[in-house]
Amino acid sequence: MELDFLATVLLSSLSSASILLIATIGLAVVFGLMGVINLAHGEFLMIGAYTALTVTQAGVPYILSIPIAVAVTMVIGAIVELLIINRLYGRLFDTMLATWGLSIVFYQLAVLIFGTVTPGIGMPQFSIAVGEYSLAGYPLLMIGVAAAMLIFVYLLMTKSVYGMKARASIQVPHMAQAIGIESSRTNMLTFSVGCGLAGFAGAVLLPIVPATPSMGFAFVIKAFLTVVVAGPVTLTGSAITALGLGGGASVTASFMTSVVGDVFFFVITALLLWLYPMGISAKWRRKL
Amino acid sequence: MFKVVNATGGYGKTTIIRNVSLEVKSGEVVALLGRNGVGKSTLMRFATNLIPPMEGHVEIDGNPAPNSPAKRAKSGLGYVPQGRFVFPRMTVIENIAVAAATNGHDPKKAVEEALADFPMLRPKAHDLAGGLSGGQQQVLALARALAIMPRILLLDEPTEGVQPSIIDEMAGILKRINRDRGIAILVAEQNLDFCLSIAERAYVMEKGEIRMETDRDALLADKELQQELLGV
Repeated sequence: MELDFLATVLLSSLSSASILLIATIGLAVVFGLMGVINLAHGEFLMIGAYTALTVTQAGVPYILSIPIAVAVTMVIGAIVELLIINRLYGRLFDTMLATWGLSIVFYQLAVLIFGTVTPGIGMPQFSIAVGEYSLAGYPLLMIGVAAAMLIFVYLLMTKSVYGMKARASIQVPHMAQAIGIESSRTNMLTFSVGCGLAGFAGAVLLPIVPATPSMGFAFVIKAFLTVVVAGPVTLTGSAITALGLGGGASVTASFMTSVVGDVFFFVITALLLWLYPMGISAKWRRKL
Repeated sequence: MFKVVNATGGYGKTTIIRNVSLEVKSGEVVALLGRNGVGKSTLMRFATNLIPPMEGHVEIDGNPAPNSPAKRAKSGLGYVPQGRFVFPRMTVIENIAVAAATNGHDPKKAVEEALADFPMLRPKAHDLAGGLSGGQQQVLALARALAIMPRILLLDEPTEGVQPSIIDEMAGILKRINRDRGIAILVAEQNLDFCLSIAERAYVMEKGEIRMETDRDALLADKELQQELLGV
């Protein structure tokens, strides 16, 4: 029985770590890879969630609402890059101010359109039994979703020609141009991919985290900290950090309270940043 | 086949090069000589359109070169910058493959050719470019520029900070590339020996302008000019 309890704690912690990772991967691309501090990242998550909610309410099956949410957030991301980010590469504080303003605009728009409280969609009902305990199936499914997302982004960025162009444009922009890469177009696509990943997160997490205008805030702080702690090898680093910090916080929370879990998260983050100011992956010899 | 006409340019409002004109004929190797700070690198960046022209233009094959670095690369202009600027968190293979694929060439074939041309890169093929030595990075930057299959190659101080054995190897490779593939080369250098070993003709720059045009034999005979160019 003790063993069963331990197994459920581990599984549900792994699933919360995965939820954190799902919300973080888009930021790992936009902030970790491109170095753009997008304070509106959480709002892209929110836009993804509302898009999925709206089309589901219109009668589209939930599973189909996810790609629609990705498409919508990618388009909005591309427009934001074109109008705002594009002019601010390399200007950290200006980017922060601009995207902060953008996040307020998106938040208020959501309040105006949807109000502050919206109904969730019912969680797809299935559960998994562990001994005498029973766990909701959908959150556990997120472990697989997080892994799939991670593999997808890794393959996209390392195996596709677009991915190589994207990394080249980010690492040495002028040289990327000098070998024929239209780096401004490539950067727009990369930012848009990052926003699309946030939209995907918002949509796929909708059964667990209901859409509200302020839902972005809940994720964005932990997501940013995860990417900062991860450091330059952004994808692998974020996965390990999300697993360690998110999982650790969740284990702590299940034995004590969720407040202690959060304290664990922030204390360990502070400790890691003190030990590794450039992120845990600063000295890793890996591409992503 | 490659012409810079009345180039005037610099950074912001500061003019570095004034009214510079030069020409590289098809299949020719031309050196751009001059001491530190005379504007060689600025001229290279002007030629690649990495800095916008204040005046003047560039011609490739008698046509005005397009007004973007990326389009210029696609029209056959290869560039090896001073300081190499390889993509540090990409492997040696990826550095070459991305250059080939961007210009519509088969990346696998390009990588195979590059590793055959530059055997010293083969044991490092899967390493991140940022971890290579200076000389290896220089060779990689050259391999990357060649992967776009250029017809004119601009080299900016390719011997800077590179050990002598690799410099010799590089000279041999450049001569072979020039002969076998007919790629024209414009090389900015302070290393006179290196230039004399590959170039037939040279322009000498001074204070942002072309001071004179000369050829290998005249340069070899003119000890005074050699001294002047060698002085640091």
